[in-house]
Amino acid sequence: MEKNEGERRPPPAPARFVSPKVVALYAILTALTTAVTMTLVIPLPTRGYYNVGESMVFFAAFTFGWRAGMICGGIGSAAADLLLGYGFFAPITLVAKGSEGLVAGIIGNIKGGAPWAKIAGIWAGGSCMVATYFFAEWIFLGFGVALTELPANVFQVLLGGLIGLMLSQAVAVYRNPRPKQA
Amino acid sequence: MTGFVDLFTEANSALHRMDPRVKIVAVILLSLLALILSELAYLLALAAFMVLLLLIGRASLSKTMFAFSYVFRVMILIVVLWPIFDPSGATVLLELGPVKITWEGVLDGLGTAIRVFCLAAVWYILMFTTSQRDLVRALVKLGLRFDFGLSLAISLRFLPTFGATVESIKDAQRARGMELDKGGVAKRARNYLAVLVPTTVTALKTADMLSLALQSRAYGARADRTYLRELSMRPADYVALAAVAVVFALSFVGRYLLSVPL
Repeated sequence: MEKNEGERRPPPAPARFVSPKVVALYAILTALTTAVTMTLVIPLPTRGYYNVGESMVFFAAFTFGWRAGMICGGIGSAAADLLLGYGFFAPITLVAKGSEGLVAGIIGNIKGGAPWAKIAGIWAGGSCMVATYFFAEWIFLGFGVALTELPANVFQVLLGGLIGLMLSQAVAVYRNPRPKQA
Repeated sequence: MTGFVDLFTEANSALHRMDPRVKIVAVILLSLLALILSELAYLLALAAFMVLLLLIGRASLSKTMFAFSYVFRVMILIVVLWPIFDPSGATVLLELGPVKITWEGVLDGLGTAIRVFCLAAVWYILMFTTSQRDLVRALVKLGLRFDFGLSLAISLRFLPTFGATVESIKDAQRARGMELDKGGVAKRARNYLAVLVPTTVTALKTADMLSLALQSRAYGARADRTYLRELSMRPADYVALAAVAVVFALSFVGRYLLSVPL
């Protein structure tokens, strides 16, 4: 080592990590999706339970963009599946809800998130999710099971989409309060 | 909150001591193996191996029952519905108008049900025997970016917190007279909104505080970060990895290159 003692080491390369704001936001949104999916379930006489986890996927997609919708919706819902005892569904859910968040986030934010764009986003994203579940269940579980699950999924998307739409409107007011008129 | 927040059970078994990286790779290979196999006898052997692993991993009975209660329901559904929608076999057992039930269809349904059991079991064995911290650590060591791993670890840590938040806000709104399970779709949606808006605003405030905490602890200050705990492979880990890899490679070559009916 030729370097003399007094010479300071060059400063280490600055890390090229995602900013702490994004790390915190995505972590919280993922945990929130999982918690809401696991906690708010609607008991129904036919198939047991629906959950309103859908609404958090749409909320994340509409409020924070398609990236948040895809990552937080996909991973959060898949984690909830694992913890609720639907473990072998987790990879399917990752794709289904991830694509739902992605598509809803892209379409729902056209023209700065106009209401018609959000409704189109719910329709397109919901179709992605229902189709993914249907075809995955067809391949892995057979046509019969896929057909019995179809109406339940459609209902869940409609309810979750409605709640997610209203939630994103309500929380937008909290995040960007209108300046008071002088 | 329905379900378990953490499926991990503390114990000192061979599976608990195994390197989490080996467990993750083995779980992926065994899931692929379950998808490759199609003969009933081999699938049954794999299912028996899964049960053996559950016993070795000293899975707690209540968590096992919980994890498999839905899986068993789906298995029964498959066994019943598969033959009705699959009339392709030759040996007809029963014919009722358009519905034709064949022996091959029944066997295929059974095979699919057992495959679903294997796929579910192998992932639950991983969750039962690996703590969440080890899981995230192994994923980072396997090449997941550190910041994504940190995000995952934080979200797993906040999961029970938000579960409790949702429950307490639900109770508070109930105390004010809200009925969650009554009314039509629009009414219910509005009721859920009364729970979800406070929850979401609380969560977003938490996210703001969390990002400040991360910054104040010099998150991302330098790229060459070190780790407090390092993972190290023991000889037993190499043996387990090699065994799973050999079984998977043999089945793959046998099924797709030599066309042996497996």
